[in-house]
Parts: sequence; C-alpha cells; structure tokens
Amino acid sequence: MSWTTKPTASPDATTIIRGLVSKLRVPLGSPVYNRILETLYDEAAMLDERRFDDWVAMLSPDLIYQAPIRLTRTGPNRDRDVVRTMFHFDEDYASILQRTGRLQKSAWAEDPPSRCRRFITNVRVGQCERAGDYDVISYLYLERSRGDNPENEQLTAERRDVWRDVAGDYKLVQREIIIDQSVLAMSNLAIFL
Amino acid sequence: MRQNAGLMLRDGTTLDDLVRRDTNEVALRVMTDEELYRLELDRLFAKTWLLLGHESEIPEPGDFIVRDMAEDNVIVTRDRDGKIHVSLNVCSHRGMRVCLGEAGNKMVHQCIYHGWAFRPNGDFIGAPVEKEKMHGNDVAKSSLNLRKARVHLYGGLIFATWNIDGPSFDDYLGDSKYYMDQLFCRTDSGLELLGPPQRFVLPCNWKIPSEQSASDGFHTLTLHRSLMESGIMGGMSETIYEQAPGMYGVDVGCVQGHSLRCLEAEKTFKIFADIPFEGKSVEERLQLLTPPGITKEMIPELFKNLSADQVEQLATFPPQVGGLFPNVLIVFIFAPRADGGASGALTLHAYVPKGPDKVEFVNYIFAEKDAPEQMKRDMLQNAIQQTGTSGMIEQDDADVWPVIMRNARGSASRDRTLKYQALHGHERPEGWKGGGLLYPGFTKDDTQWNWWLAYYDLMATA
Repeated sequence: MSWTTKPTASPDATTIIRGLVSKLRVPLGSPVYNRILETLYDEAAMLDERRFDDWVAMLSPDLIYQAPIRLTRTGPNRDRDVVRTMFHFDEDYASILQRTGRLQKSAWAEDPPSRCRRFITNVRVGQCERAGDYDVISYLYLERSRGDNPENEQLTAERRDVWRDVAGDYKLVQREIIIDQSVLAMSNLAIFL
Repeated sequence: MRQNAGLMLRDGTTLDDLVRRDTNEVALRVMTDEELYRLELDRLFAKTWLLLGHESEIPEPGDFIVRDMAEDNVIVTRDRDGKIHVSLNVCSHRGMRVCLGEAGNKMVHQCIYHGWAFRPNGDFIGAPVEKEKMHGNDVAKSSLNLRKARVHLYGGLIFATWNIDGPSFDDYLGDSKYYMDQLFCRTDSGLELLGPPQRFVLPCNWKIPSEQSASDGFHTLTLHRSLMESGIMGGMSETIYEQAPGMYGVDVGCVQGHSLRCLEAEKTFKIFADIPFEGKSVEERLQLLTPPGITKEMIPELFKNLSADQVEQLATFPPQVGGLFPNVLIVFIFAPRADGGASGALTLHAYVPKGPDKVEFVNYIFAEKDAPEQMKRDMLQNAIQQTGTSGMIEQDDADVWPVIMRNARGSASRDRTLKYQALHGHERPEGWKGGGLLYPGFTKDDTQWNWWLAYYDLMATA
C-alpha cells in the first residue's frame, strides 16, 4: 500500500473504501468460504492461546499488516475518517517475527500475559483477480483481561484481509485493521488483532 | 497577582507533606488525590505552556485541528493571514462544544445548538436572525468571542498557555533552550509531522508517565531490558548490568523542570561500526554518525542554523531523550533496526490529564521536512514499531503505569513514597559548552527531582 505525508487537516482525497474490493462474491456456506472461516477461527485460537509460532506459520513472507488511525470528521468529509498517513501497527513479516520473538523471551510486557478472547464474525469473502487470492472482511470483538483487574479492556474492529491459497492452506498476505475508535481505550497494543 | 499561598488540602495535608524537599520523597497519594488534581488543573496546567501539535498539520487558511490543554478542549486554526490561533472549544452562549470534528477546514465554526458563529481566530460573528439580536440586546459582540489562549511557535511546534501575562516561552525553556534548539530548530525547513498523532488512554494519573519523562534513564536498562538484550543498544544480553549500555552520558536539567539525556556519540557509533572518533573533526564525526532524521546532505544546514558549539554538541554528545515540563517526552533516537538499518525515530509524547486516574497518551511522529520520502517512510515505520500504541519499547511502560495507580489507593499505600535519592549533584564536565544543571556520568535521579521542584513551585502559588 503506498503512503505519502499529508497534513492532518487536509481532507483525504482517496476513495472511501467500503465493503469487499472484489466484485466476485464467494457465497456463504460454499466450500472455500467454509475453509476460510475455519482458518480465521484457528487463527483467533492461536492468538488467544498465544501460540505465536503457529500463527507466524500462517503468515505469508510478503505480509503487510497495518492499523490506520481514525479521525472524527464532520460535513462532506465525514466518511473520510480512516487516515492512512499514520498507523497503530505498521508491520511486515520481519517485524512480526521481532515482536513474537520478544514476547516469548525477554519482554516485560505481557508477562503475566493478557487473557484475550477474540470473536470473529460477519465474514464476507470475495475472489481477487489473482487466482487463489481472496478478499476477506471480518469483524473482530476482543475482550482483554490483565492480572486481577475485574474490568476488561475491549476493542471492536473491521479486518480487511487478503488470504492466499498455498498448496491447500491459507496464508495471510495483507491485513488492514480498522479499529472503531479515534482515541483507543486500551493501554497498549501488545496483542495482535 | 499570584501569591505564594502554599497548599493545604481539606484534611490539613500540605504540599510539604506531599513533596518532601528535605528527604527527596513524594507521597504516592499525589497520584490519586482528587482535590490535588483540581488544584493542578488551576495552578499548573492553566499557568504553563502546553504542546498542541505542529504547524505542518494546518498549512492552509481555515485548516484546524482540535486538541486538549489538560481538560480544556481547544480549536487550533490558521487564519487567512497565516497566523495560528488557539481558542477554547466552549460556546460563549450555553457551553456547547463548537467544533465537533477533530480536523478539517472551515472559515466559520458554527455551534449546532443556537447557531452562534465564530471566525477561525475565535471572534464572534453573530447569531442567526441577525435583526433579533439573539446574542443579547445591548451586548457587545467582542465580549462573546471564544476564550483565546496565548500562542507560541517553536520549531513549528504549537505551544499555548492561558497565562496571558506569564513567562515568555523562552523564559519557560530557560537554560534548556540551547539544547532543545539542537533538536527542533536545526534545519532550514524544520520538522514535519508525518500524520495525525496516535491517541490512547491509560488508567493512570498523568504524573506517572510525566515524572518518568524527566529523563528517567535507569528504567531503560531494567524495564526495557528486551531492548538491551536484543543487542541493538550495544552490549550483549548477559552483560547488560555490567556494561549498562546507554546509561552513561551527561544529563542536563534546569530549574524549569525540563531535561535531556546527552549520550556520547562515539559510544553510540560503536553499535554500527568500529571506527574510533578520536582526532576527527566535528564535520567528520557528523558524517560518520549523523543525528537521527538528518541526512548527510543536510549537515551544512546544521552549521547555518546553530552555533558552532551547538553543532559540536550534536557531533559529540547529542541529546536523545528527555522531557519538557510538565508532560512531554522527547524521543529523538538512533533506534537501530534489527536488519542493520538506522532510520532513527523522532517522536514527542504528550501525557494529557483526563481526571486524576486517566491519562491520554498522544504520540506525535516526525521527520525532517526535507528528508527523502523513503527515509520518512522508514522513520514512520520505525517510530510505530518502537514507540506509542504498539511500540515494542513502550509496551513495557504501559504495563507498569496503571499498576502503580492501583497501588496508590490503599490507606497503607498512600503514604509510601517515590524516592529520588540516587543523586550526582551539579558538576560541569571539562570543556562542556552549554548551560543548565549538569549531571555527567551514570544517569541518576537529579533531573527527575528537578521536575518535582518545578511542580512544587507552581503548586505552591495560588
């Protein structure tokens, strides 16, 4: 995804992206849809259970993983509220390896670990132009508990993915996470979305 | 007229009970006390200079961003003449928020409640149905302007204060200005904000991250040990407590409470290559270890915009991390990458109070405006990966601060103290050119204690 600096106050001139990019819907209940859905459930379990090596194994080496910020806007630009000049995550495969390596070794963050539960719903799948690549949109609801604090942190987001069929398994090539807040109610994002 | 009236809370506790200048201790109670917090909003945040953003965010007339001066929401605009204004986002009619977006472009800000309209500079234009004078039968329009803050631009950074007749911005910086200029005022085109800031809220008092940002160097070695153990700061994981990479340098403070940690360039350079600095000129040193964010092509601009002494400092003991009193962290680091690259990261963090038990972390990520696009892209990515919301360095801090907060609530806990007793004392290193309070050697508690003394001074004054 290309990037260029733009002043905060400038209306984002890019098209407002809504829904699947692809026009070819992979229908709910079809074999491909079901296998992709199952992959998403498996992925959520890997992250909830902190099986980072398993998760990394489902990532493509050309992965791009980003979470752009949101800005509240009014009037004619009110739908241009996803601002892709700044991100909460701006990762590639190498930086994900660095993050998971750190969490498993010497980081103080996440020790003790958060107890997370990721709910993946509202999954829509489309066929990309490149055969074997799929546009996947899913909703994420996350509850996160730390230590003995009875108050959880929550987060909702839309994930806009590209998954690739590689010899029968699906690998994540691209993820854009659109979090539903402009000011996050979470102390950090030491967890993956 | 401000009087030094001291401070006494309802239960008789005084400022001296809380900030103990005889023993260098601060009662943990300061982190939870609601009465103290309200006094901080009046005596501290309403009286000092606060960071709101960068002018590169609002280049065109009518451009605006909406930010917070503590719990006062303000509209920061550029008017037709290119001047920047900061106005309180509270309608002078019935208290509604006038501007509901976080950024955009408008030549008129109109309140949705009764339609009162204001110019970008905060001046009241009028209420709808002009002939009915709904703003008041005989009320002068000029008395209905939005409340205006005093504004100062420093290196393009937008600062504002409600203290209209108070100290100038240069007085606020004091002796730290000589060093701050080396970070913010060193190139022809200056800095540029790469995008709107990251914003997230932590459940802790603003002073928990803020007193740390007064150059708590030691916690980098311990809390951020994964940074050390990855080897990217130099040293090896088994020896970090012997070699203590990044711990030796010169900490610079001042009575206003600002501080910076100046780390020896030669030691930093050893992380990248094993070429000694001895005998090399300032220019040669800068070629070998260019300050983060600066390209080799920009080096002549340093000589143009700074004094020869300041450039020598950048080449020998560049300031890298520090803070502006009361609530800004400065992170201008080399940040070597695991892949051997060295894009650097230039960030400022503002810790904005949102109640005695919440703080909003605002992460501003910069590059030099004239840097090549790819360098800006690398710096953005590096800053996001290391600092702020998901930053690998700062994730660790977010696990400490809220826990201190929960720890500060109990009856037995509130009287426990924060301690600043590992001290060096002011000592001017030989050949050192800058002013301020100087603490050479291993980074200790001196600059953080200065922060509390600056806090004490403002809080003691009604």
